[in-house]
Amino acid sequence: MLWKKMVRDIWGNKGSYVACLVLVIFGLMIFTSFSIASDNLSLSQKDFYRQQNFAHGFTELISMPYGNLGRLNQIKGIDKIDGRVTKEVRVTQPEGDTAIYLQLVSLDLADPERVNDAKLLNGIELREGEFEIWVDNQFFETHRLELGQNVEVVAGNKARELKVEGVAISPEFTYPLRTEKEIYPNPEQFGIAYICRETMWNMFPEMRGQVNDLVFTKEPGIDFDELKDRLEPEIEQYGLINLFSRENQTSHLILDEEVAQLQRMSSALPLMFLSIAALILYIMLKRLVEQQRGQIGILKAFGYNNREVMLHYLSYALAVGAVGGLLGGLLGIYVAKPLTALLFMFFHVPEVYEGFSLYYLALGLIISLAIFLLAGYQGCRYALQLKPAEAMRPPAPISGKKLFLEKIRFLSEMLTIQGKMAIRNLGRNRSRTVFLFLGMMLSCSVVVVTWSLNDLVDKLVFYQFEEVETYHARVNLTEPAFRSTVQRELSRLDEVTRVEPLIEIPVRLSHAWREENVLLLGIAGDSMLYNIRDSEGQRVIPSDRGVILSERLAEKLDVSTGSLIELESPYKRNNDGPQMVEVYRIIPQYLGMNAYLEIREIDQIIDQGDFATAFMLNFGGNLNPDENELEISGEEQIQKNVKLLRDLYHESELVAGVDGTEERGREIRDLMETFGSLIYLYVLVGVVIAFAIIYSSSFIILSERNRELASMKVLGMTSREVFSVITFEQWFISIFAISAGLPLAQVMMFALSRELSTDLYSIPTELSGQALLMGAGITAVSILIAQSFAMRKVRGLDLVEVLKTRE
Amino acid sequence: MELIVARNIVKRYRMGEVTVYALKGVDFTLYDGELVVVLGHSGSGKSTLVNIVGGMDRASEGELYFREQPLHRANETELTNYRRSQVGFIFQFYNLMPNLTAYENIELSVQIAEDPLQIDPLMEQVGLSDRQEHFPSQLSGGEQQRVAIARALAKNPHLLLCDEPTGSLDLPTGQQILKLLRDFCERYNKAVVIITHNTNISYMADRVICLKDGLVEGIKENPEPLTPEKVSW
Ligand SMILES: Nc1ncnc2c1ncn2[C@@H]1O[C@H](COP(=O)(O)OP(=O)(O)OP(=O)(O)O)[C@@H](O)[C@H]1O
Ligand SMILES: [Mg+2]
Repeated sequence: MLWKKMVRDIWGNKGSYVACLVLVIFGLMIFTSFSIASDNLSLSQKDFYRQQNFAHGFTELISMPYGNLGRLNQIKGIDKIDGRVTKEVRVTQPEGDTAIYLQLVSLDLADPERVNDAKLLNGIELREGEFEIWVDNQFFETHRLELGQNVEVVAGNKARELKVEGVAISPEFTYPLRTEKEIYPNPEQFGIAYICRETMWNMFPEMRGQVNDLVFTKEPGIDFDELKDRLEPEIEQYGLINLFSRENQTSHLILDEEVAQLQRMSSALPLMFLSIAALILYIMLKRLVEQQRGQIGILKAFGYNNREVMLHYLSYALAVGAVGGLLGGLLGIYVAKPLTALLFMFFHVPEVYEGFSLYYLALGLIISLAIFLLAGYQGCRYALQLKPAEAMRPPAPISGKKLFLEKIRFLSEMLTIQGKMAIRNLGRNRSRTVFLFLGMMLSCSVVVVTWSLNDLVDKLVFYQFEEVETYHARVNLTEPAFRSTVQRELSRLDEVTRVEPLIEIPVRLSHAWREENVLLLGIAGDSMLYNIRDSEGQRVIPSDRGVILSERLAEKLDVSTGSLIELESPYKRNNDGPQMVEVYRIIPQYLGMNAYLEIREIDQIIDQGDFATAFMLNFGGNLNPDENELEISGEEQIQKNVKLLRDLYHESELVAGVDGTEERGREIRDLMETFGSLIYLYVLVGVVIAFAIIYSSSFIILSERNRELASMKVLGMTSREVFSVITFEQWFISIFAISAGLPLAQVMMFALSRELSTDLYSIPTELSGQALLMGAGITAVSILIAQSFAMRKVRGLDLVEVLKTRE
Repeated sequence: MELIVARNIVKRYRMGEVTVYALKGVDFTLYDGELVVVLGHSGSGKSTLVNIVGGMDRASEGELYFREQPLHRANETELTNYRRSQVGFIFQFYNLMPNLTAYENIELSVQIAEDPLQIDPLMEQVGLSDRQEHFPSQLSGGEQQRVAIARALAKNPHLLLCDEPTGSLDLPTGQQILKLLRDFCERYNKAVVIITHNTNISYMADRVICLKDGLVEGIKENPEPLTPEKVSW
């Protein structure tokens, strides 16, 4: 019998229960799908690492004789160490207008247990000494390559045809970034190619018998830092550029972070949804019990015991929890597949798909039932305390009270009567006011933070390319070269209006026991093409007085302006130990983590004469003055020039490649658009929260005060006028909630930045003005939409029915 | 002058298979300045009738005119307007806004009226000048009902509809309320309709409409209505 009562009660209030249900479903869907996806990813990751012998340590050198490897293999703690030759080469293509690079990684074909082995997905084995490669799958797909096809690259001053014999992936390049200034892998421009070591030596004769890259696995239980201390002295003399552990390896770092983030999201987001749903349910049950105290009295008078009455009211909560939990879990399992597929689009990891997971379905159901049981119990505890006789008496009349706010004279005079009612209602049910406040605040800040994040990714990329690196093109050299000769050569080109040298060399900076391997950039003091900027956007001129460090680097080294740090570089001529330099300035840098020094100061330190590793160029003027080319935009002009340069140095021994800034910006823009769509998901979260809260609270208020509202309608007020009492109350709260949501967003942003920043990028903590507006706007719109739904109920209010009965 | 003309008003409620007739064809006319009592047993259809006349509910059949305007053809907005400007309601259970003071409850209706009465004299008239700042929960039943009356009168309606206004009050308090209604009727020349199942109250009316099982059993004129003080039950 009581079941029927429950179903009717729920039906009579379906709006609020549906809102609850939607939140539960949403929450559990996210929980299950994200859990499954992160499990899949982490499982695939572990599997892949094990199968391919993923290295624990990585070393970059200038060059070391291959024969020394045997000795290194003896070092205590090293399980296996492999020596490789790696080189980035440019792909030559007649038609393209962007630069394409391949990272060549050598494989020892004789060794069956290679560290960081590439897994062949498709194709055939490489043959010793042949010009054959395996390329990574995304590069393969993006460029629509076919097995057996040739790719022409410029290697060791020669154009070479490399035959694509297979498609392969490696744990080292699950998220292949060309430089640390990239955020997303960009297979359009960069790919990995695996090649026989012998072939590598043939292509780069100066490297014959040498390796420039070591990867090793350690024996179980060995501490990496201890191992590093033992290994370092052995290889120092070969121009040690970098020695780092798996934890600092780019692909691993990002993949791990992604898994961790998924796990965090799979608990935080659903918890948020479930809490809100539980709160709504709590408030509804509490109201229901208060409203039905008479019925409870009668039930008890009949002889129903407390347990049965309690069970009856708890069944409301359990019904929502169970239905929502089950639906959400199933939906989550359904969504997990596309979600996983989406993730695997960005990570080159062979997928180990688990699919249907009873575990998460059950866990989700249990969590949701537990939360609802608690909320339900809290909500209807009151029913237990009622004695039958007491319960059948009507509740104490609602007593009106003026709020302290109204003591302020002009405020209360400004208010209409409806306004006064609304304001007093705030005090009438404090827990609900607080609930509304918290909900709207949360919704607002979620939108602000996500919008800001999206904005900032945008900003930090364009900041880099429009404010800092303002050159039109960059010519990368295959090896350091005397700058005056090359500069003179480049300046002679007609279209080039400005040429500036750039040095990029790996250095190790240390301060006390902290040390960091970074790229040191050498920039001329009068540079106009590379503008280092401080936090106010003012230019910082690189000086010979000391190094400029990025904020994150300074933080990691624990230094401030004026500190002295040690600088070491494998390029130093006599390698006569570290040099002390002063920290001159600390600047914000969002992409990558670098140190900067005046270019002549680097010459001094390295003591190899005045050299450069790259040149930055600006173009100007018209290439074809005879044609009236005013219609051609600057951008197209630059692109034309970049292409010209590229053709010019097509087979140059010295030029590794020409990068156009414009095209890099465009590429990143395109890439970001795909990622941008993810933000709408989060905004949706904010909207759903605001909507569910406003909608359900409107419903509760409507049924609680239907008598008051009906009386107002009888007086001749329109539905809109009547509803304004409720909307006024909600808007009043929303003003405070939104104003509180903005600082909360700032706090969340600080937390997020702290959580998400890595050596590859730091997330600025500023909130953009647009995001603030969007947050407030979207919250307001959700409130409006929810209200317009609730408004229908006011229209449909049956006056006769409501007023017939006594309260 | 004719205020309300009702022709063959029928109200049906369909409950599953069965159809319940609350009103089975009711005819009557109301005039300005008269006090009419609708008398009938519980379930005879009194509330249903008055709710239809007041524009809170719609008849299933029949015609209803207010000053010759057809209310049976009015839409929702027109009905709201009608309630707003022409009708005042008083209920057995007061239905005041619990979180507005006595004064503010009246202000609420003044706010939407076209030609409202002044609040202060009205408060005086209902004898609540010194209780203006009290909330309903701080007032007795009789006082609350007087606030409700003041609220209904404040709009200065042409028609005042009272559904069992004394239903939950004792005799002297009830007499006070009836006196207020009588005063309003005479002073402003407005029509007042009082619903009751109490025959004694009908002696103070100018006319009595007797309802039985959804039909008008008879309409009686009282050539010499009793003053409210003389009514007792
Ligand atoms: N919503 C409804 N659904 C079905 N029947 C209804 C409904 N409202 C009223 N009725 C029926 O219409 C008839 C008249 O009801 P009404 O409320 O007008 O009586 P009344 O004369 O005002 O009685 P009372 O003196 O008890 O208030 C009753 O028989 C009642 O059962
Ligand atoms: Mg009645």
